[in-house]
Amino acid sequence: MKILHLNNKAIEEAKKVLKNGELVIFPSDTVYAALVDATSSQAVNKLIAFKNRPPGKPISFFVSNFKMMKDYVKMDSKQNALIHTILPGPFTVILKANKKVVSGLESEKGAVGIRIPHYDPVLRLVEKMNRPITATSANLSGRSPHYSIKTLLQELPKIKKDMIDLIVDAGHLPRNKPSTVIDLTSSSFKTLRQGDMKMKNNETFISRGTRETEKIAQFIFNKTLVQGTDKPLIYILEGEMGVGKTIFVKGVGALLDINNIISPTFVVSYEYTVHKEGVNKLIHCDFFNIEDEEEFEYLGFEHNLKPRTIFFIEWGERGGKLKALLQKRAKVIYIKMKYKKDNIREISLNL
Amino acid sequence: MKILAIDTSCDETSCAITDGRKVVSNVIYSQILIHSKWGGVVPSLAKRAHEEKIDYVVNECLRKYRDPIETIDYFAVTQGPGLAIALEVGIKKIKQLSLQYNKQLIPVNHLEGHLYSSFVQNSKGNPKQSFMFPYLGIIISGGHTEIVRIKDHVSYETLGETIDDAAGEAIDKAAKMLGLGYPGGPVVERLAREVKNREIYHFPRPMIKNQSLNFSFSGLKTSLYYFLKEMNENKKLSQLKDIASSYQEAIFDTLITKTEKAMKETGISRLIVGGGVIANMRLRRLFRGLVNTYEGEVLFPPYSYLTGDNAAMIGVAAYYKAKKNIFVKNLTQLDRIPRFPLPKYYL
Repeated sequence: MKILHLNNKAIEEAKKVLKNGELVIFPSDTVYAALVDATSSQAVNKLIAFKNRPPGKPISFFVSNFKMMKDYVKMDSKQNALIHTILPGPFTVILKANKKVVSGLESEKGAVGIRIPHYDPVLRLVEKMNRPITATSANLSGRSPHYSIKTLLQELPKIKKDMIDLIVDAGHLPRNKPSTVIDLTSSSFKTLRQGDMKMKNNETFISRGTRETEKIAQFIFNKTLVQGTDKPLIYILEGEMGVGKTIFVKGVGALLDINNIISPTFVVSYEYTVHKEGVNKLIHCDFFNIEDEEEFEYLGFEHNLKPRTIFFIEWGERGGKLKALLQKRAKVIYIKMKYKKDNIREISLNL
Repeated sequence: MKILAIDTSCDETSCAITDGRKVVSNVIYSQILIHSKWGGVVPSLAKRAHEEKIDYVVNECLRKYRDPIETIDYFAVTQGPGLAIALEVGIKKIKQLSLQYNKQLIPVNHLEGHLYSSFVQNSKGNPKQSFMFPYLGIIISGGHTEIVRIKDHVSYETLGETIDDAAGEAIDKAAKMLGLGYPGGPVVERLAREVKNREIYHFPRPMIKNQSLNFSFSGLKTSLYYFLKEMNENKKLSQLKDIASSYQEAIFDTLITKTEKAMKETGISRLIVGGGVIANMRLRRLFRGLVNTYEGEVLFPPYSYLTGDNAAMIGVAAYYKAKKNIFVKNLTQLDRIPRFPLPKYYL
């Protein structure tokens, strides 16, 4: 293990060592990083062993410019534009990988993390290599990152030190936080379309504010509530963010003496006990944060599909996989909310 | 007093063993503090599958603890608020342990945990912050926004809360609208810092003139929606940092203004602030500035894992409840309470 102070010669030496498939500890814009050639699976495996990183956990890498980045990831024009505004900088951007990426770097879902740092020595090294190098922090998995070589060496057991071929020391790095991760991989799952629900009638209302949205919700609820049925009632609420879906549910809640309804986005679903209008339970869901269809299996939906239970599902159109289940076991009512202008919303009911 | 606590209120499956205020062993199954869903071995769907992880988490916690489980005095569990099916997993596990080892069980409200999170110590007993009641407790997270008067241990009165979206949720959703992915908090913080947290655009401060101490953030979302709608893509991108910064300032200003109002109304100038959003350094600075004007003080969770959901803070809250003799009387009747307001024990 050699230790060099950061200068041109050290960068040149780092390049040589990396090209041999060896491990280099190198300063960055955030913390000390563990570098290997990101295009060599052998080198990447060495890094995984060094970090004690569980297999399947992705490893981000440095590129020096957008052109190099494009070689390794898929991105659309929107993502491309966004990336140009935030990089170079202290961000790790998550995108779908293309085939060129060495296995071991990707996540289980085929995403990779890429950095273009605002830090000249790293950029110069990547340019000299003319290929990406890994950008993971030099600490072992689950430990704190290091801002100086001294603390790093104190933490590392001998067996780990022996795995390092070169350390480039830039003294104490400013205590910048590790990079912030921005996940730009969008989920792709089937959206339940209104047409899928075989709606017969529809009716449209205009709301001029939250009060009116609540009133309309109460009207719709009274109109659609069937007492004594053996099926649960499910209201699917579709509409853009901020259009008033939670307000709609609050309106119905007021009718059922529930006065503490808040947005369930964060926890996905809240339950309320009811003793009115023949209803026992109100379940207020929000599928906004659902990223994968399989998650529905963990929501315990089935066991709540009972009579006298009412569901309100915000972003319910995302529940594509639930379609068959809902059709068969529940009465589904589809509510669509649209921005008109200012406080005006169009609310349509589909039965 | 040694307590084994479990929290499964939302995404995290966590177990901790505490000794008074000290955390002796602590296991959190989640990557949210580090890398969100991308960084985990676990895809986000499995995050909700607490059932698959609970045994592992508890066993791992006991393994780190080293002493036998018999040396633990009490068990504790989060009863709510949270996702019903997630809460059920923790409650079922703790019931089983209580029966098996014949220990008394302490029920904890997740919000109590956040209120005690600033007093949690590491295994060596640091930091040594002592209690100086009364406090105003502020909880700011993805699921909660609350102002609570804390008169003494385990004595709470909720003064204000959100009537729709939580502050953290409002930031996450803005990030999504701006195309920045999830979770939004760290990204928005960093972008805002790059323009020095300046506020070029003025977003509304919902309910700021309202007499109550309640919050409402859903209208802010709507205003961002219209704001972005009138901007073309290029302008949006070139102004990204300023939009993020201005939006964050609107939320933080609302939080600070309402807190100040609560300070004036109650005459209490000592604050404890908990919840995921207080990981934000800008917000910490604003709270410090606020208490300086009133010669008060403000405490934050001393370690970063304590801002998120964790069982360590539940164990510490449980310790003070045990001292007040608050135990589950009938184990079979213990059930999850998904929308659980802070209990009024000693008002």
